[in-house]
Amino acid sequence: MKDRESTQDLTGLAESLVTFAKRNGADEVEIAIADGYEFSVDVRLGNIENLIEAGTKYLSLRVIKDKRTAFATSSDLSRETLQHLLKNAIKRTTLANPDEFSGLPPPSDKKIDISSLNLFDPEIAELSSEKKINLALETEKIALKDKRISNSHGASSITNEVKVILANSNGFLGQYDQTYCSLSLGLQAGETDNRVEDYWFSSKIHFKDLQPPEEIAKKAVERTTRQLNPKKIRTQKVPVIFEPMMTSWLLGFLFACVSAVSIYQKTSFLVGKLGERIGNRKITVLDDGLMPGKLGTRPFDSEGVACQKTLVVEKGILKNYLSNTYAARKLKLQSTGNADGTSVSPNNFYLEPGTYSHQEIISSTQKGLILIRTLGHGLNPVTGDISRGAFGLWVEKGEIAYPVSEITISGNLGEILNNIEMVGQDLDFQSPVSGPTLKISELLIAGE
Amino acid sequence: MEFEDHFKISEKDIQKILNIALSRGGDFAEIFLEYRVYNFINMEEDIIKETAESIILGLGIRVLAGDKTGYGYTNDLSFEKIKKAALSAASIAQASIPGSAALLSRTQVSHNFFPVLEPPHSADLEKKIELVKEAYFTSQRFDKKIQKVKASLQDQIQYVTVVNSEGLMISDTRPLIKLACLAIAEKEGKREYGFSGGGGRVGLEYFRNELRPSEIGKEAARESLNLLEAVEAPAGEMPVVLSPGHSGVLVHEAVGHLLEADLNRKKTSIFWNKMGKKVGNSQVNIYDDPTIPLFRGSYNVDDEGTLPKKTLLVERGVMKGLLQDRLSSKLMNMPLTGHGRRQDFASIPIPRMANTYIDKGEHSPEEILKSVKKGFYAEKFTGGQVEDSGKFTFSVSLGYLIENGKLTAPVKQATLIGTNIDILKKIEMIGSDLKFGLQTGTCGKEGQEIPVTDGCPTIKISRMTVGGKR
Repeated sequence: MKDRESTQDLTGLAESLVTFAKRNGADEVEIAIADGYEFSVDVRLGNIENLIEAGTKYLSLRVIKDKRTAFATSSDLSRETLQHLLKNAIKRTTLANPDEFSGLPPPSDKKIDISSLNLFDPEIAELSSEKKINLALETEKIALKDKRISNSHGASSITNEVKVILANSNGFLGQYDQTYCSLSLGLQAGETDNRVEDYWFSSKIHFKDLQPPEEIAKKAVERTTRQLNPKKIRTQKVPVIFEPMMTSWLLGFLFACVSAVSIYQKTSFLVGKLGERIGNRKITVLDDGLMPGKLGTRPFDSEGVACQKTLVVEKGILKNYLSNTYAARKLKLQSTGNADGTSVSPNNFYLEPGTYSHQEIISSTQKGLILIRTLGHGLNPVTGDISRGAFGLWVEKGEIAYPVSEITISGNLGEILNNIEMVGQDLDFQSPVSGPTLKISELLIAGE
Repeated sequence: MEFEDHFKISEKDIQKILNIALSRGGDFAEIFLEYRVYNFINMEEDIIKETAESIILGLGIRVLAGDKTGYGYTNDLSFEKIKKAALSAASIAQASIPGSAALLSRTQVSHNFFPVLEPPHSADLEKKIELVKEAYFTSQRFDKKIQKVKASLQDQIQYVTVVNSEGLMISDTRPLIKLACLAIAEKEGKREYGFSGGGGRVGLEYFRNELRPSEIGKEAARESLNLLEAVEAPAGEMPVVLSPGHSGVLVHEAVGHLLEADLNRKKTSIFWNKMGKKVGNSQVNIYDDPTIPLFRGSYNVDDEGTLPKKTLLVERGVMKGLLQDRLSSKLMNMPLTGHGRRQDFASIPIPRMANTYIDKGEHSPEEILKSVKKGFYAEKFTGGQVEDSGKFTFSVSLGYLIENGKLTAPVKQATLIGTNIDILKKIEMIGSDLKFGLQTGTCGKEGQEIPVTDGCPTIKISRMTVGGKR
């Protein structure tokens, strides 16, 4: 079903729009095109629920005139509409105020060898619909064999291909192709009024790296059933063990706080902390856009700045904020290749693994909680405060005793980073933001 | 405006496409056409930093075969590309005999819930910039402790046309605007932020007559200043009083989501076997009404072409209804309510809330507060989340301690948790002061984000777990 417009046509379009904007008075212009193809199937209780197959293209642009900026995006790629949008944007620049920090990144001769990044898996393009549907069916079928499973949210199999093209008036022209595949399953266990639920998934750039249906089913069943018959606990302070997915969640919050955009906007508790200790010696955090074949890998960011490996926290010392060109100029720093429009996004943002196994960390705990899921919002980057609904497993004498629910955890990211007691070895890069098992010496759990 | 003006496709071609979508024998085919223009203004550090304009144009084609859905979409509206999307959707059906679509007939909608005088999308950008500046500078000048302000305005106009194989052809035009302000206050190295906003499916006159931008700016500043003085929230179980309006997020999360028909059809919702049964205190009446004029969650026609109805969900504590879309209503053999919504043309419609609220009760708010000796008052929220089992959380950004029937110290960042049926039963008193929350809310489900509103009067819950720091 696929017939994608040729790369030449789209790069040609991007380049011609750069020329058009310059001719119509823009000082600087940037054109980005994403040409995507999506296949997605949801199955539930052995039947297909939804089957989606489609291709779409989006274009986004930025123009700067007299240091004033305007943006636009469109899903209508007709030349008429795009030229109209560009002219409008140039006109709109007069309504913004001049901003000395605005503008495209300066030209650079840094070249990234895109093929070495291993971002495109030709096998994904060749997979038949039938194969993808069967993967989802099989995953769910294996899980439903377990009698403890009382209902299914269904399994989904997704593949994507996207071509990214970026051209700007400083002479940058780049493009790359990226694939993505994922397989996921959500389950419920227990009777209607006492149900527990959870899910598991695998997502990768390369199909061969995807976890097989057996593993996903097994993990989803285990994660769901381990929550059956939860107890309530009283309000208390105890050591808390973060499973890798929970560490990833915590790191997502850390990312928001080390974002140079949050820093110049003063919406982070880490303002002014560069070079200072923000955690104990056990934590080292990196952002690396150049790891071959990983989900957060890309040759250049949304402004065409080459991605890199950036040390964010080294043994507890805050070394770098993650920035786009604008925030970097505001803070007199260099862009780290994390631009995502006017914002920033992580490349592969991870916490360096330690030496302990997950089991060793549990065994070391006399009394405590393994945090397995959180629910809700409750993250405040301005203060670093955390307050979330939580689910966990109670640990006694180094062993899992029973599941607990209807609790909340509260703390502060700054305090948590200082109270990390053990770092696990189980870093798996399941998502662009990822970390291993962590043990925090003390957190407040609110219960009865 | 006729749909051809936006989509440049003839009715004849649309009819052809519907037949192609049924070429493999689906039960039902539908085309959702969308054209949307969106504007954005952002102000920070005392300057208008940037403006943006977005155009969303595309169509999605859906084919139903039993309980299966096939979906294709495209933003290239050439006949060939649309045909391809139709064939993608058609592939869900496996019958040998093709179906055929009824002849299209245009339905004129007789009501308009959005009688705006000054449509935001066609107003001069300069005029909208003035609104942003008013909110920004009022907030900044409110107090010396205000260190930082951000204000932004988003507006859009969405033209939607739904055609289907039953011959329906119906359109809706939906304006939407949101002015939001964030203020950060600082005192002795401690920083806190406050937020406020407003808007809806309204014209610019709303910001002159209903809610001045200056009020939005002041409210954001006030919240941040209040939080500077706030103490850490208590932790443990205690009586909780919910403020009117903002606490609508509770009815949205704890009840509304789990009364969406799809989760009940699939029996994943805790409510699936409770229709006609008591699920809460008998003072509790809950509605979802997509027809409230000018509200952010309202629409004249839903995203499947159904005329929406004010829908009774819970009456005197008894579960009475579900929020339906076409697929679930057909499979469950229940009437349509007009709650089939989608984020955009690339999304499959699913049952969603519009404007959800707990109706007013008999108690005065003062009487409710007086009845609490020691407890927690939840004033403003940053959001909430629920899972199908009924377990939910709300994040309270600002609350107060209740001591001897009076609000005392302000309290920051707490989380309220519980299980929905348990909490509905623990509702002890309902106030007579029904209010709706800020017209700024967005709800996410299955990756689709849509505008919603929710509301409630002052409510007392006998016991609830408050997750704080002390």
